[in-house]
Amino acid sequence: MTSNLIIDLMQIIMLTATTVVVMVTAAFKRDHAVVCGLTVFGLFASLMTFLLIKPVLPFAATELLMIDEYSLFFSNLIIVGAIAVALLAYPYFRNHSAQNEEFYILLLTATLGAVVLACSNHFVAFLLGVEILGISLYAMIAYTVHDTSSAKFPLEAGIKYLILSALASAITLFGIALVYAFLGTMGFDEIPAALEAAGEPGPVFIIGVLMIVAGAAFKLSLVPFHIWTPDVYEGAPVPVTAYLATVSKAAMLAVTLRLLLASNALEFNAVTAVLTVMAAASMIVGNLLAVMQENTKRLLAYSSIAHLGYLMVVVVAAAQVENALSVEATSFYMLAYFIMSLAGFAVISAISSSVKELDQLSDFRGLFWRNTWLSSVLIIVLFSLAGIPLTAGFIGKFYIFSIGVEGELWFLLTILIIGSAIGLYYYLRLIYTMMQPPESISNDPAAMQIPAGVQVVLVTMTIAIIYLGVYPAPMINTLQSLSGAF
Amino acid sequence: MLELFWLVPVIPFIGFLILTLTFGKLPQVYAGIIGAGSIGLSFLFALLAGSSFLAADITAYSQTLWTWISVGDLEVGFTFYLDGVSLVMMYVITGVGFLIHIYATGYMSGDPSFSRFFAYMNLFVSAMLILVLADNLVLLFMGWEGVGLCSYLLIGFWYTDPNNGYCARKAFVMTRVGDAFMAIGLFALFISTGTLNIQEAMFNAEAEWVVGSGIATAVTLLLLGGAVGKSAQLPLQTWLPDAMAGPTPISALIHAATMVTAGVYLISRTHVLYLLAPDVQYLVGVIGMITLLMAGFTALTQNDIKKVLAYSTVSQIGYMFLALGVGAWGSAIFHLMTHAFFKALLFLTAGSIILAMHHEQDIFKMGGLRKDLPWSHWLFLIGTVALVALPFTSGFWSKEEILASALEHHEGGYLLWLGGVAGAFMTALYSFRLYFLVFYGKKTHDGHEVMGWHLQGPLVVLAILALIGGYIHIPVEAVFPEVAEHHPSLFYQAIMIGLPMLGIYIAWLIFIKGKLDLNKLAGQGFGAKLHRFWYTQWGMDWLYDKVIVSPYVWLAEFNKSDVIDSFYNGSARVVRFCHDIMSETQTGQLRWYAISVAYGLLVLVTIGVLL
Repeated sequence: MTSNLIIDLMQIIMLTATTVVVMVTAAFKRDHAVVCGLTVFGLFASLMTFLLIKPVLPFAATELLMIDEYSLFFSNLIIVGAIAVALLAYPYFRNHSAQNEEFYILLLTATLGAVVLACSNHFVAFLLGVEILGISLYAMIAYTVHDTSSAKFPLEAGIKYLILSALASAITLFGIALVYAFLGTMGFDEIPAALEAAGEPGPVFIIGVLMIVAGAAFKLSLVPFHIWTPDVYEGAPVPVTAYLATVSKAAMLAVTLRLLLASNALEFNAVTAVLTVMAAASMIVGNLLAVMQENTKRLLAYSSIAHLGYLMVVVVAAAQVENALSVEATSFYMLAYFIMSLAGFAVISAISSSVKELDQLSDFRGLFWRNTWLSSVLIIVLFSLAGIPLTAGFIGKFYIFSIGVEGELWFLLTILIIGSAIGLYYYLRLIYTMMQPPESISNDPAAMQIPAGVQVVLVTMTIAIIYLGVYPAPMINTLQSLSGAF
Repeated sequence: MLELFWLVPVIPFIGFLILTLTFGKLPQVYAGIIGAGSIGLSFLFALLAGSSFLAADITAYSQTLWTWISVGDLEVGFTFYLDGVSLVMMYVITGVGFLIHIYATGYMSGDPSFSRFFAYMNLFVSAMLILVLADNLVLLFMGWEGVGLCSYLLIGFWYTDPNNGYCARKAFVMTRVGDAFMAIGLFALFISTGTLNIQEAMFNAEAEWVVGSGIATAVTLLLLGGAVGKSAQLPLQTWLPDAMAGPTPISALIHAATMVTAGVYLISRTHVLYLLAPDVQYLVGVIGMITLLMAGFTALTQNDIKKVLAYSTVSQIGYMFLALGVGAWGSAIFHLMTHAFFKALLFLTAGSIILAMHHEQDIFKMGGLRKDLPWSHWLFLIGTVALVALPFTSGFWSKEEILASALEHHEGGYLLWLGGVAGAFMTALYSFRLYFLVFYGKKTHDGHEVMGWHLQGPLVVLAILALIGGYIHIPVEAVFPEVAEHHPSLFYQAIMIGLPMLGIYIAWLIFIKGKLDLNKLAGQGFGAKLHRFWYTQWGMDWLYDKVIVSPYVWLAEFNKSDVIDSFYNGSARVVRFCHDIMSETQTGQLRWYAISVAYGLLVLVTIGVLL
């Protein structure tokens, strides 16, 4: 029993241990390469423990955490994302004048928070995860604060994220308090039984749930809680932006979906109505805002708002279709979005460094002629984001579509189509910019050699995008097993 | 050897791949060896496969390479089908094609795009072979479009001259009109017979369709549309003379010997359908007759050596259509083959003359060349007599068969026969006009023969075939319904032999003896008008320009600020406008951000509670 508990918590334990090791190492020997290497090694080791965990699933590790196929999939995704970010961070911070070692500690704690979030089955674990992740992120976003030439406003971005996150946490907490006041329970899967015992749910309970959803929506940057996204994405160093866009989103989505499905909250019209509004608004507003955007990080921020909106279509549909199907679709889309975003930010990071970030659209002018490989990756990523066939993004969108049709969400599907059409414009605009003749070749940062770490991320993610787009069957089979959790 | 028969279309394709992937960096010698050699090899395999096919004494043989498309019940194989007709076509394409390729290695030597030329030629041969060997409609259509593409590429081969590009586009667009009809026809055939396999479709159609029914008429008319486009028959014949802009070997290969016969092949391949729609079948004959006469008159007035030959091609394919119209399927294929021999010979010899005259193509600037160009003279004469169908040449046998069948045809055959015989007279007149003008009369320009084994060698082979090709027996009895042997009475035979002779005599009188002052006749009054009318191929180009091009241009002009575009521009403007409004919300001010979160929450909770 206890041995199973230890095995099931192995990933979390390994992450914590790595954090401590890295912290101690950094205290004794300040060596960027060593610390980064240790971090990647530790992350990889904790990723590999899933082989141990897999046979003893599912397992409720205390009341707080639920380790099952579903949580394991998302924690693996999170750790892979963290490895990729560490690989991007090393060359990025190499020329950074201040001390870099702490960044990796923050990265590890943030990842720890994200994994906790993905496993949480209880409001306490939920809050713990959110805060571990959040507090690490504040520091990570503002990490290059002393570097005046780097990302333009790291401090501003950090402060904005801090204050607004605090606001969102307050809303979430209030919501949790209201739900607890009504039901007297904090475990996700205990909610349905408690509801039955409590009788007809009053506005207090509904408002409570809505406030929790709003808190989650903030982290997922769904409209109308999206406003922080572009500023923070733009202000943060590229690897951190990549982290925000992928790991933070995946963890939050995992817990939100579990909460909604385990608590049967989708049975309430109020919840589905609010989710529908948020989904529709995110798809429209996100895409509209991106149309004339001149900064690629902001562009990807807006596009992430739209993509999370697409994902919400599946969550809304979960009220009508089988849980298994919506979990499968959500996981696939999240996976696809995760890979595309990582690859996209990897490209930006390849031509940037902490000394100088090149994230303006004009910096990409003629990239195709200056660095064909890099721009080819970005083109594949953009095609995938736009949902062009033979890419992972297409399969993901197809999933959303078929589930939307099954759930008969005609309104949301119409919005989805309109949103995708607008989306195509700004993705193609970026491709068009890259195809323009370059202004000058001389001392061109993009012509420099791409660092090995970034190269690894680029190659892996590109292969993954195409592989999932051409031959998604094995991944779909894996994802079908996730639904056993519900 | 029959199992290797799939190599026949594949080898030219490999040749195409090699020539393309070397980006023209291959030395000319190797490019020539690959270009012509691949066709030669293909011809060799065709011979081997053909001989074992004939020895096996079977009616048809099909070979599936792989499944091409498989969706639900629909399965399209990459399958080749060999029977008597496709065998003859395969021989003509690879055999005549091989000779032309050899000739082209000489003709094109020194051209900077030598390798590109052979790449296109190989692709063309491959596509044409796929067309004739296709087992199903989809594969046939692929080959059909493939030859269209290659024709376009090759007509515009010398692309630096904008006029060549114009000619290529014209050919492409005109044939495209036919292709659209054909595609619809194929769809209709597929829907009504439920299969894409050609033989099965024929079988089902025969079992289910009523003779003269609407569906039979519609499908055959639509397929006829494709056929007249590719084979340059009325009303889509205007592109072929322009197609002469390409290098002469192309004119010989595509626009005389092979591609333009695709329409004839298509109709004979689907002859079962035409038997179910007798009216359309008769229409095929009428179209052939009118085209052959119109083209004959036009050929009489041209002064470009290649244009004369081009119109004579249009006219000869008219004969093939006439044959199809009277149900003489075998004769059509027979004439297709003999025509391939003598027309390839004529074109290639014309190419030699053009080479000798330093790319001069105007026949009035030639004259008296029989001493300077003895080879060309004799070869051209052989080609001409075969074209005119003097007795015992190859053209004689095939044309004789066609006219005899027309004469025997129950209703309306007599009319077609009359047209055909008149056409034979015209053929003699314009052919010998060309011959006399080029080789007799006053010498105005010096020319000297360009010699080389790859120039004269293929020509000699073709000349022999043009003379004795009529004795070749084509094994198509198993494919087509049996036709009784026709032996017209002596009176008709005399007319059919005598009229071409008369044509030659008149040509001799006019162009050698000068009995008739042509300049006076064609220079003024009605004669001049008629001359111009014929010269511009009966005003067809003018008519199309007025009826189709001008209104279209007018419409385009009128709709300059596209009505439909304005919808899209409008929606783009709406998006832009919304974007601008949305952008206003991104102020970058924290206090506004915080309050927006609060308001957002308020709105959502309100929605939630109200519901």
